[in-house]
Amino acid sequence: MQFQRDTSRSRNNDDGVLPLINVVFLLLIFFMLAGRLAAGDPFIIEPPKSQSEGLNSPQDLLILVSADGRFALDGIEMSEDAVIDAAARRLQEAESLNLRLKTDGGAPADRVVELMKRLREAGFQSLKLLTVPDA
Amino acid sequence: MQPPAFAPLPPASNRSSAGSLTIKARRRQLISLTPLIDVVFILLVFFMLASSFLDWRSIDLNTPGTNRGGERLEGSLLIDIRPEGLRLGGQTLTPDALIARVQELLARQPDRRILIRPAEGVVMQETVTLLDRLTAAGATDLSLIAPPRN
Repeated sequence: MQFQRDTSRSRNNDDGVLPLINVVFLLLIFFMLAGRLAAGDPFIIEPPKSQSEGLNSPQDLLILVSADGRFALDGIEMSEDAVIDAAARRLQEAESLNLRLKTDGGAPADRVVELMKRLREAGFQSLKLLTVPDA
Repeated sequence: MQPPAFAPLPPASNRSSAGSLTIKARRRQLISLTPLIDVVFILLVFFMLASSFLDWRSIDLNTPGTNRGGERLEGSLLIDIRPEGLRLGGQTLTPDALIARVQELLARQPDRRILIRPAEGVVMQETVTLLDRLTAAGATDLSLIAPPRN
């Protein structure tokens, strides 16, 4: 009699928990598939909004420019000169290297253009400016 | 000789059902669901916090050249972005008027190069918005150039 009551209670507990686990598993699978794991940026960047359709290419070299004029190359914060130097060195090592520029929407455009100009002098002919779609 | 506990049932089925019952009960005790749920929850929280859902797009740009004589600038449209407004060929225009003017010029010469020169105090969002509008107007050869150094 005692045994019988125990199993029925434990089965009831499991029955109550199973839908919860189902939902949690679904959420887990959703986040695993839909989200992209990426290293965080060293500073907060709110990218400019645009209607452009160009695709992101995650394997390219990434230069970050924050709104208050800080620079980073592939997630490591450094000065503007160091960014140019390191990018130029990477370009010499690899035959074809594409460049992505992720700037804050509030970054001063003349400084960004100045950086692009220096990148041109370092040997980069073109680059991709990263944006997010308009909401 | 034990007296049968469940008298109405035949002995064979009685034994097998009793066996499966004890196995089930022991398995429930050995592997409880709680640690599994713990692990799954931790994985869930990890993926929720670590994954980013920003949908990145890109705009292809040519890097601005250094000034090597005027031959590349000749025949191209120069648009100034200033904090007070947009300028094309020395006159300040509203964005709509500028786009209309650019469309008119592009209709005559579709592959015309367009240079965009942001002045000091202009942020990237304004520049990107203008790039967007020019692309929508049919411009293909866009590049940014740096303001002249004093």
